[in-house]
Parts: sequence; C-alpha cells; structure tokens
Amino acid sequence: MADDREHRIIEAFVELADSLASGYDAVDLLDRLAHSCVGVLDVAAAGLLLADDHGRLHVLAASSQAARELEVFQLQSDEGPCRDCYHSGTPVYVPALDEVTDRWPRFAPYAISAGFTSVHAVPLRLRSDTLGALGLFGTTVGALGDRDKALGQALADVATVALVQEHAAADREVVAQQLQAALNSRVALEQAKGVVAYVGDLGVNQAFDVLRRYARDHNLRLTEVAAGVVNRDLTAQQVLAHARARSPVT
Amino acid sequence: MGVEELRSGLATAMSGAGSALEAADRLCRACVDLLDVDGASISVADQGTTRGTFGSSSELSRRMDEYQFTLGEGPCLDAVRDGVPVMVADLSDASHDRWPAFSGAVMESGIHAVFALPVQVATTPVGALDLFNRRIGPLTDTALTGGLVAAELAALPLLDVMNAHGDLDAHAEAEYGWEQLTSLQRVEVYQATGMLIAALDISPAEALVRLRANAYTRGMTASELAWEILERRVNLNNDRRWSATDTGSDGDHGG
Repeated sequence: MADDREHRIIEAFVELADSLASGYDAVDLLDRLAHSCVGVLDVAAAGLLLADDHGRLHVLAASSQAARELEVFQLQSDEGPCRDCYHSGTPVYVPALDEVTDRWPRFAPYAISAGFTSVHAVPLRLRSDTLGALGLFGTTVGALGDRDKALGQALADVATVALVQEHAAADREVVAQQLQAALNSRVALEQAKGVVAYVGDLGVNQAFDVLRRYARDHNLRLTEVAAGVVNRDLTAQQVLAHARARSPVT
Repeated sequence: MGVEELRSGLATAMSGAGSALEAADRLCRACVDLLDVDGASISVADQGTTRGTFGSSSELSRRMDEYQFTLGEGPCLDAVRDGVPVMVADLSDASHDRWPAFSGAVMESGIHAVFALPVQVATTPVGALDLFNRRIGPLTDTALTGGLVAAELAALPLLDVMNAHGDLDAHAEAEYGWEQLTSLQRVEVYQATGMLIAALDISPAEALVRLRANAYTRGMTASELAWEILERRVNLNNDRRWSATDTGSDGDHGG
C-alpha cells in the first residue's frame, strides 16, 4: 500500500514536471493537479481557488463535481476554510468538521451533508502575496499527517509555479495578467465543454475528456482547442469524430 | 473612499432602474458623483463594430462619446478592440498619431483627458465605459478603482441593450446589481452558454444575452436557467422561447 502511494506521488510529480517543462497549459495542468491530490493525499476530493485582480475568488479546477460545489458554496456564503486560508495566507486544517459548526455555521453543515468529515486548505503563495487556495476534502475524520501537510504545500507550490511564470514573477502587473488569463481560459473551456456536450449528447465531464484528447493528440494546448470550439473555428464534430476514432465506446 | 464603498455606491445607483438605458445613465451619473470626473458614458461595440453611445452622465458626455462613431476613431474603439484600458491623460499629447479627428473635436469642447475602460461579458469585450476630464492629468487611484468597478457593472445593461429579441424584455423585470452579475459568472452559466452557442449557432456574447433575457421572462436567475439547460429540461431548438420539454420523452442524455 505504502509502495503504491509512493509510486503515485512520484508519478504525479513527474507528470507535473513534464508538463511544466514542455509548454504546458495552466488550466489543464491545474485540473490534473487537483486529481493528483486525491491520488497521493489522504483526501477524497480537491478544489483550487484563484483570486482575480479585485481579490474575488473563482474556482479554477476541481477533482469532482462535489469538490466544485464545496468551493462554490464557500464563495457564495462567504465563509469556509479555503476562503479563510486565502485571506490569512496560512494553512487551515480541520480534522473534524462537526467541531467547527460555530466557526462556519453554513459551510460545516453543508460539507457534512455532502458526506465530508474533514477539510484542509493550503495557500497558493507567491512571496508575500497569496494567489488562492487549494482545498482538500476528506471523508474520514483525522488530522493530516506531517508528510501529507508537506506534500499538500508542495502541490500548492506547483500550482503557483504553473500560474506564474518565473521570469515574470518580479512584475506584479504581469503576474496579475497571467492569473487573469488563467481565469479567462477557464471560461472558454467551460463554454467549449457545453458546445461539445450539446453536439455530442454527452455529459460535461465526458466533453472535457473529448477536448483534452483532441488537444493532446494534436499537440495543441487545451485552451487553444477550447477557444477554437467556442469561436467555431474548430467544429465540435471534428473534435468528437477524433475521440470516437480513438475509442469507439464514446 | 474604499473599494467596498465604491462598489455598493455604484451598484445602488443602478438598482431599481426601469430600463437598461436608465440603469446605464444612472451608472454614468454615479461615476461623476463618486469618482470626481467631469463626465462618463457607456458605448456598445458588439463584434468590433461600434453600435453607439448608450448611457451618459450629461448631454456633453454623450456628444463626446458619439464623436467616436461619427469619426470612426477613438479610445473607446481601441479599448474594445484590444480588451485593455486606454488611458489618455493629455489629449494634446496623443493627438498626432492615434485619433487626430477625435482629439481635436473633443478638445474643442474643453475636454483634455479621456479614459476608456473595456466592458466584458464572459471575457468577450462588448463595449466601454468612457470617463472624461476637463483638466489634464491621470485618474486618481479612487477614480481608477471605481471606474473598473463601474465597467464591470456596465455589462448588465449592455447585455440587455444587445438583446435583438427586445420583446422578451417587455414583461420581464430586469435587475442590475452584483447579485445578477455574479449569477452570470458561474460555471454552469458558462457551460450552458456553450450549449446555446451550439444549438443556436450564435456568438458567446449573444448566447449570454439570450440566456439572461430568457431567465427574466421565466422569473429565474441565470444560474437556475443554466442548470435547466445542462439537465436538458429546456428545448433549445425553440429559439423564441425555449419551452420546457417532458423530461421523460427525450430519452437518456447521459451526463
């Protein structure tokens, strides 16, 4: 079991390092990172929040619909561990949600009713700034071990690196532009998922897989493919036909 | 004045407006009151072709803004085209190369500084908020912050004025404020917008226009209607008003 986990950790970091080294797409990478968290940490779901230049948080990636809903709920109700983590710039560890109903009277019961029992939030930090927060949601009660805490922060750091290219990190304005670009590409990606889901009569998650497959096989960035589909330069039929050719089960 | 105060001041100015035009006018007047600028106007520029001035704080501001359409040049057009703010603290400086006709006409009316802030809907530029000053010099920090906030809020009335199916508005009560804006900036709305793009063969901005208009005629929020669309409970092929279909009759759509 331990070996298996070790293997998954190495695999996750190799995959992330690979995409960082080879002209990656931030949105695609962060989506994979959210899924990696679930594989390598003792959590059931993960979501990533990013602040825009007005300091308002947006969901940039999530490992599942449940994770997305937990993040959205915190943004709507304006309370919760990920939100607090972003504002304080420090990690928030909640081993047992039923003990924090006073602190988050709306979020805690909501998360519990969704089947979660623990939450941990790790800041995305760039020097003295906090860019967002990585939310880790568990279905078992318990504190995150020291190793998992370190690993969680390491994954959050990868997210920061993916969002802010190193040569630009000194310039606050350029950083703000890159973060906004990541948020913008998320909009196009969600719209493209809607287009493909409608034309192919698929669920939005399946539509995402179809778009990602097309991007990878054509050596294109996911963001480029999404923009092409939304602007109708690339037809949904083309993208769907490619996926069907690759795996007739779709 | 802090950002939060500006945010609520500008939004409050628009709330309860009886029409998109009135909301836009009120927002422009609030800019003059709260941001210490001499004039403000909002113009629609759909798909790169400017369609005209739409809200303004005064007759003079409207005229300044309209010069851009009659002359075919100006900071607002550039801001919409490039999706970035165009800040001209001294028009006499920039007049040589960028907009010679516009600058000349505007300066003749006593305006010496123009700031055009793009208005975007789901990342698509649809128009601009123009701020005018008689004095030469950059915007104050408060004016810039407030201007960016106002440019965000301007998206709502702009969406409604872009609605070519104006009849949908007749019996629908449009509302203008942060809540409505937030409702448009949700994942399900982006995804449903994608479905509308595919079903109706329209642009992302147009899809958002129709989503908002339809939500109003149904007495729903944009987010609620988006879920209905994603769950295939709305027939998108009925363009005029996507009627709800019997969920059982359409078969299983996966998802």
